[in-house]
Amino acid sequence: MMPTPIKIDVNAQARRVARELVAGEVVGLGPGIPSLLPAETPKAMGIWFLADSGACYYGPPDGQSGVLGDVVDSSGGEARLLPGGCSLSIVDVASAACGGHVGSAVLQTAQVSSDGNFSHWTSAATPGLFAPASAIDWASGARRVIAMMPHIAPGGSPNLVGQSSLPVDGLGCVDLIVTDAAVIRVTQGGFELVEVAPGWTADDVAAITGAPISTASGLKEMTFEPPTGQAPSKVYSDGPAAVKDIPDGALVNIDGFAGPGGMAHYLMVALRDQGAKNLTIISNTAGIARVVDFGSPPGKIPIDHSILVENGQVKKAIASYPVSPRASRPSAFEVAFQKGEVELEVVPQGTLAERLRAGGAGVAAFYTPTAVGTLLAESKELRIIDGKEHVLETGLKADFCLIRAHKADTLGNLIYNGTSRNFNASMAPAATVTVVEVDEIVEPGGLNPEEIVTPGIFVQRIVRRPAEFSPYD
Amino acid sequence: MFVQGTRSKQIGLEYQTNDGLQRVDINQSASNINPAGDSPKGNGKIYRSPAVAVADIWDGATVSISGFAGCDWPERLIKALVEQGSKNLTVVCQGEWSAPGDKGNIQSLVASGQIIKLISPMPFRPARADPRQSGEVEARWKSGELELEVVPQGVLAERLRSGGAGLGGVFLPTGASTRFGKGVEVRDFGGRDHVFQPGLKTDFALLRAQAGDTLGNLVYSGTQRNWNPVMAMAAAVSIAEVDEIYQAGELDGELIVTPGIFVKRIVKSN
Repeated sequence: MMPTPIKIDVNAQARRVARELVAGEVVGLGPGIPSLLPAETPKAMGIWFLADSGACYYGPPDGQSGVLGDVVDSSGGEARLLPGGCSLSIVDVASAACGGHVGSAVLQTAQVSSDGNFSHWTSAATPGLFAPASAIDWASGARRVIAMMPHIAPGGSPNLVGQSSLPVDGLGCVDLIVTDAAVIRVTQGGFELVEVAPGWTADDVAAITGAPISTASGLKEMTFEPPTGQAPSKVYSDGPAAVKDIPDGALVNIDGFAGPGGMAHYLMVALRDQGAKNLTIISNTAGIARVVDFGSPPGKIPIDHSILVENGQVKKAIASYPVSPRASRPSAFEVAFQKGEVELEVVPQGTLAERLRAGGAGVAAFYTPTAVGTLLAESKELRIIDGKEHVLETGLKADFCLIRAHKADTLGNLIYNGTSRNFNASMAPAATVTVVEVDEIVEPGGLNPEEIVTPGIFVQRIVRRPAEFSPYD
Repeated sequence: MFVQGTRSKQIGLEYQTNDGLQRVDINQSASNINPAGDSPKGNGKIYRSPAVAVADIWDGATVSISGFAGCDWPERLIKALVEQGSKNLTVVCQGEWSAPGDKGNIQSLVASGQIIKLISPMPFRPARADPRQSGEVEARWKSGELELEVVPQGVLAERLRSGGAGLGGVFLPTGASTRFGKGVEVRDFGGRDHVFQPGLKTDFALLRAQAGDTLGNLVYSGTQRNWNPVMAMAAAVSIAEVDEIYQAGELDGELIVTPGIFVKRIVKSN
């Protein structure tokens, strides 16, 4: 028998995985060997490495350790935030993982079966005792799952198998496996060998694989050159450019509390001028600033959601405060509602916030005691939990989100001013495309990371509100 | 690995920019508070010592403890809880990752036999090179002295958040069709199985922050933030161990991560 070729080491495995990553994407890393990725990926790629410790946009310590000694990675190893990085709480990490905000997840596995099931590496040691940390979350929420592991276990048994012998921690979710001998794609038809480590042949790999493995046409030898690519810019030239693709019938989050503070006036004007119809707007009010005196200068009428209603673009509002507090001065939305031109779904403010949060965090539905016994809970499922009636509410996720922050960096990290924070922070994750207008855009590192409220992983587009823009008609 | 004690003594935040290192002092003129006060307990939310702050944690209490992967434990509070000796605790935490022999970590609570149940996504350090790493948890789990509830990290975070926000529970896709979806309610939403996860509240939370003020507002440094914000929300009584305590108004309002409404007690770490 021929001697087995030499396997590559874990750093080489990490370099190979790095070649799979797409510039600018969010990459969730579980503990173990995935922690090697940031050191093997060029910073210029602008990858948003997200560790389950909360470290977001980070790299390895770079010899200046001590100055930023408070940041650890998924394995508890010291890490260093890159300019524009920040630390998330674990609950925000969970939102990112499960809410569809992660492009690729890289996990260390013990076994992967040919139908893409995986068992976490910690499941292999003591039966019944295991430590999956965030691996199950990443596997559930990431668009693509890359598994890293040795091709065979220390005892010599294969880790790529037809059927898992260990408990399954993720069902049919692994897309690609990078081992110390090969790169294997998981397809409908099972394992497909894509690349072999230097010195290996397809037969060598098949011999240590515990399931049938086909060979892709154009089988290659693994290469380890650093990947190239640059993250696309999130900065848009102006409001019209940032909202031009909002289609008719879109579901749009619009921020704001009651008065004009923290409201994306500039983007709303751009949306009005763009003219998309049949919009469903999700917002705290459905526009009342034009009929209520919030301290506007004499003769000035504030811009708010009303401009969209007046322009006939709104089909429905999901809101907690859709009326003017003065019956004598009904809002544009009330007038349209009375005429039967718009639909309305009234949601208590806290429930609206929870529904948005759920939508952004991948929570399909939740039970809340709010509104039980009122009209707002009618025809909804009720359940008694801990002796208290709760009503089932569903998560809300919009197509677009128009919000306003005080400052952004070019990566989309946001800070707010005072209560203009309001709905912005919970709405940003709850949309496919979140567009932000800000007073000022700074370079990465220009914001204090501890002050960042909305991390850039939840923001797709940024536009600067022109200094001369007036939030009044 | 970050070692406690390397954190800058002077309160402030350092971060990297393209032009090098920036430093923002939370408040240069801030005066440190003398936590002694007049009463034996302390002064308002400020407690005189970790021992006083944890004195009423009862036998059978549910206690959440912040920290991630062996870093940033509320060391003094845990140590005080070991000395206080309450029994049959249910502990909710990231996991037991500390090196053996360290004081003031989950391992010391496990070793003291005070925990009957551990709810954790990472209940042992999976570094098999050193079997001592998981010794206490594994041994007590095998002998039946310690019950383990292993929960995916994101699920535990959502359960605590749900409990803290007054929700009855949430439906999450995580772990459906795996061992985490067995024996529990599974429901289809939008063509995908979701598992019902009940909210989780705790009696106490032991937290670790960089600084607090007399109202209980907290700021964190780096990934020290980890479980603190959500555990603070989910506990009836949150107790924070901090490096420095300031007067109300001395912390920048935009930097405060956990508002004082979620914090009942503050104690200095040193």
